[in-house]
Amino acid sequence: MRKRLVAVIIAAAVMAGVSSRAASPPNALVIGTTLSAVPSLDPAAINARTPSEVLSNLYDNLVEIPPDDLTAIKPMLAEKWVISDDKRTITLTIRKGATFSSGNAVTAEDAAWTIQRAVKMGAVGAADIMLWGFTKDNVEALVQASDGQTLVIKLPQKVAIDLVLHSLAGASLGIIDKQTALKQEVNGDLAQGWLKSNSAGSGPYKLTQWRPNDILLCDARADYWRGAPAMKRVVMRHIPESGNLRLQVEAGDVDVGQYMASGDVEALEAKGASVDPGPGLGFYYIAMNMQDPDLAKPLVRQAFQHILDWKALTATTMKYNGFAWQSIIPKGMPGAPTGEPAGYEYNPAKAKALLAQAGYPNGLKKTLHPSGAPLLKMAVALQASAKEAGIEFDVIPGEHVPAYRARKYQVLVGNSGSRLPDPFGTLSQYAYNPDNRDEAKLGGYYLWRSAQDAPELTKLVDESKSETDPAKRKALFEKIDADFKAMNPPIIIVMQRLDPYVMRKGVSGYVGHPTWSTRWFNVKKS
Amino acid sequence: MVDALVQREEELTGPAVATATGGMRGRLASVAMTLAGLMLLTFMMGRLLPNDPVLAVTGSEVDKETYDRVFKQLGLDQPVWRQFVSYVGNVLTGDFGNSLTTGQPVLKDLLAVFPATMELALVAMTVGIALGVPLGVVAAANKGRIVDHVARIVGLAGHSVPIFWLGLIGLLVFYSKLRWVAASGRIDVLNEGLVAPVTGLLLIDAMIARDWDVFRDALAHIILPGAILGYYSVAYISRMTRSFMLEQLSQEYVVAARAKGVSRRKMIWGHAFRNIRVQLLTVLALTFSGLIEGAVLIETVFGWPGLGQYLTRGLTMNDMNVVMGSVLLTGLLVVAINTVCDRLYRILDPRTR
Repeated sequence: MRKRLVAVIIAAAVMAGVSSRAASPPNALVIGTTLSAVPSLDPAAINARTPSEVLSNLYDNLVEIPPDDLTAIKPMLAEKWVISDDKRTITLTIRKGATFSSGNAVTAEDAAWTIQRAVKMGAVGAADIMLWGFTKDNVEALVQASDGQTLVIKLPQKVAIDLVLHSLAGASLGIIDKQTALKQEVNGDLAQGWLKSNSAGSGPYKLTQWRPNDILLCDARADYWRGAPAMKRVVMRHIPESGNLRLQVEAGDVDVGQYMASGDVEALEAKGASVDPGPGLGFYYIAMNMQDPDLAKPLVRQAFQHILDWKALTATTMKYNGFAWQSIIPKGMPGAPTGEPAGYEYNPAKAKALLAQAGYPNGLKKTLHPSGAPLLKMAVALQASAKEAGIEFDVIPGEHVPAYRARKYQVLVGNSGSRLPDPFGTLSQYAYNPDNRDEAKLGGYYLWRSAQDAPELTKLVDESKSETDPAKRKALFEKIDADFKAMNPPIIIVMQRLDPYVMRKGVSGYVGHPTWSTRWFNVKKS
Repeated sequence: MVDALVQREEELTGPAVATATGGMRGRLASVAMTLAGLMLLTFMMGRLLPNDPVLAVTGSEVDKETYDRVFKQLGLDQPVWRQFVSYVGNVLTGDFGNSLTTGQPVLKDLLAVFPATMELALVAMTVGIALGVPLGVVAAANKGRIVDHVARIVGLAGHSVPIFWLGLIGLLVFYSKLRWVAASGRIDVLNEGLVAPVTGLLLIDAMIARDWDVFRDALAHIILPGAILGYYSVAYISRMTRSFMLEQLSQEYVVAARAKGVSRRKMIWGHAFRNIRVQLLTVLALTFSGLIEGAVLIETVFGWPGLGQYLTRGLTMNDMNVVMGSVLLTGLLVVAINTVCDRLYRILDPRTR
């Protein structure tokens, strides 16, 4: 008996060995990614990149922003909208014929409930919409369905309408099937428990299976209101090792690779894969803590503008992670500089002279924290190039965002992301600090993290939120950017982030969205 | 490396045989003490790490209001001792809490990741034993000859070459070039859910269901990571086997038996090998515990959804419910392995009964 069992196992092993493995099927899209940071599939509970992509395909939004033109706001579930003369009310008309995966029709009541729910939950997904003054107490009165197809949103404060529409296009406000969700409500939890791992949207896909850190399967809906998508099934596989993912893209088992190392992206591109550079709305930067007496000196901060050889970095190890950029407004947006970035050239001699002028003829010694493991290579590059300028960095690897948020660091290299496709999104992160006191604990703002008081800039950013005239907004953004740079800021922007998507030959229509709302509807395989 | 192994041999062979005493009650008390100690230690470790569990939930770009709300929701505003007491209370009722990063109850996660790691470790162990034990015996029987040197090199190469690199090279050859194996995960998407889970070990479940397609697919997924992890343990197993065998082969009974005309083969496998079984069992038990704990790197390379990846992710995100649940489970497993070993000693060696 034992011998027979051994024989069966050996035979099976041989059979498995000689079987040739099939590439991904023609009507299924296989995405190799990292699924370790997907804590929930409830739209209102997430703000990260991978879950945003998944949710953008399970749930439709009221409006959408095409990935290739972030200034255009296009109809989606709302076929049209009207803005009142005082610019304080948006009335949206919900299209007829759109249905949820349950078969229920999409109504204005679903849309109102979705927004109310997100604000009432107050989780990270509501952060954007709550910027405009909505609170738990006012949201039910301000966001209402006046009839089955009409949604009325009254704004609690004067805000540029585009900003509000941009937040309605975000993955956290994908419209939820109220009836289906409420059937699953437990103890008034607004179906939070159920929506964590189930979908109730009107998007082209529905969630079939999800195992954290392993696999996520979505199946196409034949009855989707725009027609059935070409890919009948989309599979996201957790492949955290970039080298392994590269081999699978090469072999045709994976169609799209995400979170890949620059070296692997380059190798695949050389073999004919196409690379969507995936420009993101965030930056790579060097941050300094102004509570450190050395770093509080403007001349020292000015010296730091010339200690990173970013040209070498963007040409080699971070080639696909970012491109040279020195403004706090993302490239191409209103108010963003045009032309090649200039001002922060790598110039160790100049940095040395500035340090001497500041009273440090023998250089400086500081600790350098990368904000997380992916930033280590940038920290090491900075350590090497700063040495030439007489600055010695003691690099401390690890996850240092908590220390950064608590002002417990000297120098840090980090990166950021934003889902709001408007300069206000990044400016409110980088140029805003309403209260610089330690006890204010405003860890969400970079200027607070750097202990830089900036009342004028803060005022200007607030103004840009409510300014509705596009030309005036653009002028405001330009001024904020110029003022920021003029103060020798404790945050030195060196690159704008890229999140490359690698597609194997024959895959078309997959376009990585800068706000992470990447949609699979138009993907085709030949 | 060799010195270190030999030194460990001496440390390990001593106490192993002398266990299996004491009553059931004493054993239970000691298990409970061990687990309580583990809980306290991991809890304190979590407090000392510079990570922030709130950011694991909210992401790093969060405003103060949301941060404060989540801080309270997680009970972090309570004194540390109260957090610990309430955690222990919950564990005793079977509630390990929820994971911050997967959003699921930790117990549910553990029931999914543990069989994956267990299956990988079992395959690795099979490879380790199948290669390591004969290699050690043959090396001992041919001490100082070319076979002995080759065995040493083969064994040590497995231990000293980074497992991460071996994984990638293995993928390049057996997946990319030869197309014999699969590259990541436990099973192909097309075969997902075709076999009802009975043991959670896919190979066994497929055999029970007699679904040979699923079996082949699962085997194609596990064979490479399993073999590489197994090869890693070959060095230890083979060096220990060799050392135990050398000790036996130098005994007088061996000379006497040979003089009486017992064949060399029978002498080695029938007499000397029988006498090292108890010592070998100790080594294998330790190796197995090590494989369970040490599969992290291979799980990362092969996207294997196992305990190693789950625990490491929990550690880096300061997801303490995950860390404590995983450590407790691993602790329980090591205790279980030791208990099984104790029983086996009694069967294999009458003197310990």
